[in-house]
Amino acid sequence: MTLRSTIERMLFALFAAFMLSVPWVVPAFVNDFWVNLIAEVLIWSLFAASVNLLFGYVGLLSFGQALYFGFGMYGVGIGIDHLGLSFWPAFGLGITAAVAMALLSGVLAVRLTWHYFAIITVVFSLIFYFLAVTMKSLTGGDDGINFSMPPTFSFGGTVLSFTNQTFQYFFILTTVALCFYLMHRVIRSPLGKAFLAIRDNDVRASLIGLNVYLLRLIAFVMAGFLAGVAGALFAFFGRYASASYMFYHVSGEAVVWAIVGGAGTLFGPIIGTSLFIFIREVVSTRWEHHALIVGVMAILVVIMAPKGLVGLWRDLLGRLDDRETSGNVAKKLRTEP
Amino acid sequence: MSDTLLLLALNGLIWGLIIALIALGLSIIFGLLDVINIAHGDFFMVGTVVAWFTLQLTGNFWLGFIVAPLVGFILGALIQRIVIQPIRSTAALSIVATFGLSLILQEVVRITFGPTPHRILPPITGTVPLFGIQYEIYRIFAAGLSIAALAGFFLFLQYTKVGTWMRAVRHDRDTAIAMGIPAQRIYILTFAIGFALAAFGGAVAAPITTVDFRGGVDILPFCFMAVIIGGLGNLPGTAAAAVLLSFMEGVIQSTADPTIARIASLVLMSAVLLLRPQGLFKGYVR
Amino acid sequence: MTAPILETRRLTKRFGGLTAVNDLSMSLPSRRLHAIIGPNGAGKTTFFNLVSGLLTADEGSVLFRGQDITGLKPHAISRLGIKRTLQIKSVFHQLSVAENLWVTYRASHGILHPLRDASDDPAGRERVERTLEQTGLAALAERQAGTLSYGDVALLEIGMALISDPKLLLLDEPTCGMSPAETERAVAKIREMAKTIDIIIIEHDMTVVFGIADDITVMAQGAILASGSPAEIANDERVREAYLGRPEDEDFVEEATHA
Repeated sequence: MTLRSTIERMLFALFAAFMLSVPWVVPAFVNDFWVNLIAEVLIWSLFAASVNLLFGYVGLLSFGQALYFGFGMYGVGIGIDHLGLSFWPAFGLGITAAVAMALLSGVLAVRLTWHYFAIITVVFSLIFYFLAVTMKSLTGGDDGINFSMPPTFSFGGTVLSFTNQTFQYFFILTTVALCFYLMHRVIRSPLGKAFLAIRDNDVRASLIGLNVYLLRLIAFVMAGFLAGVAGALFAFFGRYASASYMFYHVSGEAVVWAIVGGAGTLFGPIIGTSLFIFIREVVSTRWEHHALIVGVMAILVVIMAPKGLVGLWRDLLGRLDDRETSGNVAKKLRTEP
Repeated sequence: MSDTLLLLALNGLIWGLIIALIALGLSIIFGLLDVINIAHGDFFMVGTVVAWFTLQLTGNFWLGFIVAPLVGFILGALIQRIVIQPIRSTAALSIVATFGLSLILQEVVRITFGPTPHRILPPITGTVPLFGIQYEIYRIFAAGLSIAALAGFFLFLQYTKVGTWMRAVRHDRDTAIAMGIPAQRIYILTFAIGFALAAFGGAVAAPITTVDFRGGVDILPFCFMAVIIGGLGNLPGTAAAAVLLSFMEGVIQSTADPTIARIASLVLMSAVLLLRPQGLFKGYVR
Repeated sequence: MTAPILETRRLTKRFGGLTAVNDLSMSLPSRRLHAIIGPNGAGKTTFFNLVSGLLTADEGSVLFRGQDITGLKPHAISRLGIKRTLQIKSVFHQLSVAENLWVTYRASHGILHPLRDASDDPAGRERVERTLEQTGLAALAERQAGTLSYGDVALLEIGMALISDPKLLLLDEPTCGMSPAETERAVAKIREMAKTIDIIIIEHDMTVVFGIADDITVMAQGAILASGSPAEIANDERVREAYLGRPEDEDFVEEATHA
């Protein structure tokens, strides 16, 4: 076991312990509001993860994930408000809508080289943003729709609903953790390795027999699923859905979070998202121009630390590891003439 | 009824000429530097704001036509040197950098100029009869100015040494460098000219649109549409596409919701992206 | 008489005004190591690109073991058993050497499971071990492929070719950029592979060509200039003129004719 993996396991254990105790620990130190904020950070981390899956592991930069977030969000919103659905059918509708949209748009988008892929993802999201803005009766346009929260579980006499802050937190935590776990499994799987091969060298990948188009499409749909779940959770969380969340700014911010956190790492999206949302919360009470910080950090990271925070961390620990084993490596390398 | 149509069509046509200037700036940045400049709409916005400030400080609007592109040129050169150049190795990340730049520009303007939109009165007021309707003189003047700028830009590219260098780098970077063309300086110049064109467009457009820190957000997708539909690397095509698209949107606006017009343009843009054969598709080794 | 391993009929590819491959018809028999030589721009790599599916032919057809593969996508052609290396050596630079080999193996054997752990693959690991031994890369197994020397990348490419169990192997200038020692090792590996795999090799290094090829085809300007055994090619007037017309090559030619 390397030093790095030991430290990382310890950190993860601490992190998990903290996350599980938030509804009790946090109000003791600050107040209730921060429990909701952490829940929101989890939702946005999942959204950033959808960007990260595509960019960090497959090499596709999508600037339009807000589209699938929006479909997830409106699936729930319209489902509850217009169709009178209860919690689980609305959740299902949101996720299905997002995945379907990802499949349809992916089939078209994934054929393009990365410049045009990035552009068309924005174009698709803009088309639907404008559609959502025009169809005000259905979507409420930029103002959005508000709805009341149906219960999540109700059996016997017990009713569990998002109106209970603790339940809301744990539901979101569980869902997000589940999604991250699925991502973790996929990344470590043969499919995940194929993704990495495509990311590194797509021509070579096709020459060894990988169907690059199909694999990219699969990744795109998976990313759409993650964004859709995030959108659906967001709608439940805020009891609100609005077209403004489909605008390219939202997609762009998620790209910044994912890259600052560390593209191609599992925890990068969480770190990046937490950092920016906490900065926003802490700074915006005193200074309304926190977007400036986002912009400057984005540029600094891209210039000086393109691997992001988790990437830097890995490099740092990697060097500590290397010093331990460098003796052995030197001996092995001497077999080369 | 047809008077409104004529008015909107003319407005669209003239607006398209202004957009053509901005879109050309985007195109050369995309074509020579391989950078998708998310901040380009904000370059335009900075132009409108500089024009406003010039008017406030000197009382002379005409000065803005010089100050705005000048400021744009200097800022563009600085940005290229400080932000774009260090990340040339990781091209995909340049999008993130320009997105960050966009945020910075908008916030800085919001801090200095303020969050409320302002209007500038056109320096030439009054209307003139044109094709049977009364049309604003300033808009006609703006059209003339845009056409002059477009012509100047194309002449510059075609007939000056630097312009030829830019075309060479655009056409075949490696050969151009091998022939001794100072690529680094060309990149800085390209970005500077790109910003200057957009800023100039902003100064020209300022009296017929609002001066607002969010003014670039709407312009950006439109410029990309012109560049893609006109054809990457096809500068006259981009200019023509800008004019045609804007004209088309103007015409549609007379009968339908402007958002519908925008959606139609976006769908057209998607169609072009997906169906145009050269270099748009995932080409393998060619 | 076995069917030819590879056959092209009137294969043509144009780029704008330039005809890179011109009405090329050839039939390559199985169980022979075939070399394609020719000056730069002769169309050799374009030919490989057409066969492996990276380019689509404008006219003509390509047949692999009698099956028409014209127009098939690269991954489909790869799955039929045609594998190739690229002129500019390139592998999956952020993966380790072992992972490069493993993913190559998995790409042609079985489906990619989305949830099972990649390291849970005894069959695959065993093949990777074996290939690491065969190529002499065992010591570098965990190294990131992007950090390897050029010679080692070339070996890795050969390893990837081996592990994919090719039926036809297209090697594009495999010794390009190698030191003499590396070239010797590579040539030995290629000779070894040629015992069980059909190989077509593009090469500029005449020692290599005349040392290992059973048949040689000379291309120039997109067409076949001459084709035959090394001795025949060495003595061919047109070939000498067009390609081998340099004094130092006379020695190789002498050697080859007396080989």
